[in-house]
Amino acid sequence: MMRALWRAFLQGLAAPVDIWRSSLLARTVTLTVGLSGLAVTLIGGYMSLTIADNLFAGRTDQILGETTRAATVAQTLFDNSVTAAGTIDVETANTTAQTAIRSAQSSPGGSGFALLRTPGQITNQTMTSTSTAGLDLSVVSSGLRAQVVGEPSQLHYQSVSLGAEAAVPGIVAAASLQVPSSGQYELYLVYDLSDVQTTLTEIQQTLIAGSLALVGAIGLVTFFVVRLTIDPIRRAARTAERLAQGFLEERLTESGEDVIAVLSRSFNRMAQSMESQIVRLANLSQVQQRFVSDVSHELRTPLTTIRLAGDVLFAQREGFSAENARTIELLLTQIERFEIMLTDLLEMSRYDAGAVALEVEETNVVPLIEDCLDQLGPLAREKGSELLVEVRGGYGESEVDQRRIRRIVLNFVGNAIDHGEGRPIVTYIDSNKEALAIAVRDWGMGMTEAQTQRVFDRFWRADPSRQRTTGGTGLGLAIAQEDAVAHGGRIDVWSKEGEGTCFRLTIPRIPLDSWQVSPLPLPPESVEDNSGAATGALPQQAQP
Amino acid sequence: MTARILVVDDDVALAEMISIVLRGEGYVPIQAFDGKEALDLFPDAKPDLVLLDVMLPGLDGIQVCSAIREMSGVPVIMLTAKGDTTDVVRGLESGADDYVVKPFNPKELVARIRTRLRPTSASVARVIVVGDVTIDVPAHEVTRGESRVNLTPLEFELLVTLALKPEQVFTREMLLEQVWGYHYKADTRLVNVHVQRLRAKVEQDPDNPVIVQTIRGVGYRAGASVKAADEAP
Repeated sequence: MMRALWRAFLQGLAAPVDIWRSSLLARTVTLTVGLSGLAVTLIGGYMSLTIADNLFAGRTDQILGETTRAATVAQTLFDNSVTAAGTIDVETANTTAQTAIRSAQSSPGGSGFALLRTPGQITNQTMTSTSTAGLDLSVVSSGLRAQVVGEPSQLHYQSVSLGAEAAVPGIVAAASLQVPSSGQYELYLVYDLSDVQTTLTEIQQTLIAGSLALVGAIGLVTFFVVRLTIDPIRRAARTAERLAQGFLEERLTESGEDVIAVLSRSFNRMAQSMESQIVRLANLSQVQQRFVSDVSHELRTPLTTIRLAGDVLFAQREGFSAENARTIELLLTQIERFEIMLTDLLEMSRYDAGAVALEVEETNVVPLIEDCLDQLGPLAREKGSELLVEVRGGYGESEVDQRRIRRIVLNFVGNAIDHGEGRPIVTYIDSNKEALAIAVRDWGMGMTEAQTQRVFDRFWRADPSRQRTTGGTGLGLAIAQEDAVAHGGRIDVWSKEGEGTCFRLTIPRIPLDSWQVSPLPLPPESVEDNSGAATGALPQQAQP
Repeated sequence: MTARILVVDDDVALAEMISIVLRGEGYVPIQAFDGKEALDLFPDAKPDLVLLDVMLPGLDGIQVCSAIREMSGVPVIMLTAKGDTTDVVRGLESGADDYVVKPFNPKELVARIRTRLRPTSASVARVIVVGDVTIDVPAHEVTRGESRVNLTPLEFELLVTLALKPEQVFTREMLLEQVWGYHYKADTRLVNVHVQRLRAKVEQDPDNPVIVQTIRGVGYRAGASVKAADEAP
């Protein structure tokens, strides 16, 4: 369950991640919008805070000024209410003072005041504490009252929240009054700051809207600018892609003098020089291939004449002296060798020219291979090697070019006979769903790693001084490799000095189909004991 | 057994060498060094077989072969320097019976020539009917209704081989052995091309063959006769 969710999450993530990775435009726009958004938020936030501070500071100053004025007026009123006899009608004075305070509290938002008697005093008279009707006295906190009482000479204020439900910012400013014969009173002026708040909210909204618009505009501008700069790059990329596909005449349009134009010009110059190089090399290699092919063809007619002449003489060798008869024998064998070499060269040049077409047929390779082994039987007997076959699979037919597969197998087995030191040679055949494998293993001298890497090189020989019996031309494995590749397969080689060599051909059951695993390991281990092949090691010679 | 063989090759040495080999085998070689000369010589020389190089100056071997086929059904063996598919097929399609790839050895060449010159199945004294076609084996004649169908000796041989055993399906390899005399693996295109040429001549509709039927994946078989096969008296 969790895993499924996680997978869904990852899949949901995949599409955006893909776009992020693949589109420079998307990346640039996203980054620009993100970063400018961050910057605008910081600046806007700072501005909004400063504006709020200033607004509130201005209001507070105004309020404190009013409070001072109101306190002074009230104090003066109270002081002047003392008659010559030294008495005072506190309640009358109170009323007068209230009127004066009310008129002093003139700025907008003044929502009321309270004149409270400082508790804990014993005086001759007591003036009634009063407050504006409807004023909730709970806004005057005990903390503020304590401050006022503690420092009566100073003005105090406190930010509060007004209103029962919707919180409205407010300020309570406080001053203390000395009412003659009635002691200390505290004057509280309550101001409603909702107008300031409204202004601030409006400013903030404008700021936010402006920021969003700005970020949007930046995003749009980035989009167009990046598009403008990316487009030539994109065109260059497309053109490069076309060039890579072989359309060598593809070019960019050059216009203007800007950096893009410089890019286009350099790009076109590069394409131009590449094209001429490629054309030159292609011509060169074509000329070379043609040359090889022509030479091979031209050689064939005189070679045929020589061959016929040699054969005619060979047929009459009984009439010659022993020396001459042997000479003719040598001549004939060397002509044959020459002929094989020419055939191989032609085949190679055909591969080089790409002029190779498979002629596939549904084939069971087992009889085909047995046929090859029969053909090489006499040679193997001469060398003392026994040719064994281990068929593990390979049942059923595969589509192969019989001539080429035959050639590969003859080459493998021929090599094994040449280098097998007279020990048995096992040909393994196996197949799986996709592929068919043929491996030929000998227990001869083997090769070093450096030698193994060069076996497919043309005209390369493991040991040039070694006597050859199969008349190899040094092209055999190179051709075999090309034959395998033409089928969509390949040849792998395993070899160890003193332990022998194994060549393994793997081809798909249908030419050029994909395949993953070769049906045979390299080198294959013998599994059957009854055929005289011991597991892994050298098969025992079959007893006569 | 003094068969006359026209050797057409622009390489003088090779033409002479081939002639030596042929003389050694008891044939009478006639040499021609280009296509025009070959065609000029052909009517008077009346060769029993033509050895024809594909690459010739002027008229090439394929053109020469077509020209010969218009005059006669004489066996033609192409000498080709290339085993390339297109060249071989073009040569066979122009009417060549067989081909030999240079460099060849004398045994190979002589074996090809012998097969083409050996007496055909004329020994079978029968008239065979396949589909709407009547084959008079001793007379070497193939007729459809009243009209005669002109076949080369090889095409005749191919048709008779199939027609003699109408129940049997012949693989290409069997035909290569019986008609062309190959005892080892040879080019099956020989069979394919000649079956097509034969069909073009004997079938009413070569796209839907009745006389020489293809058995997919196996080979060919002669079609059943329209009326029951009637033995010659």
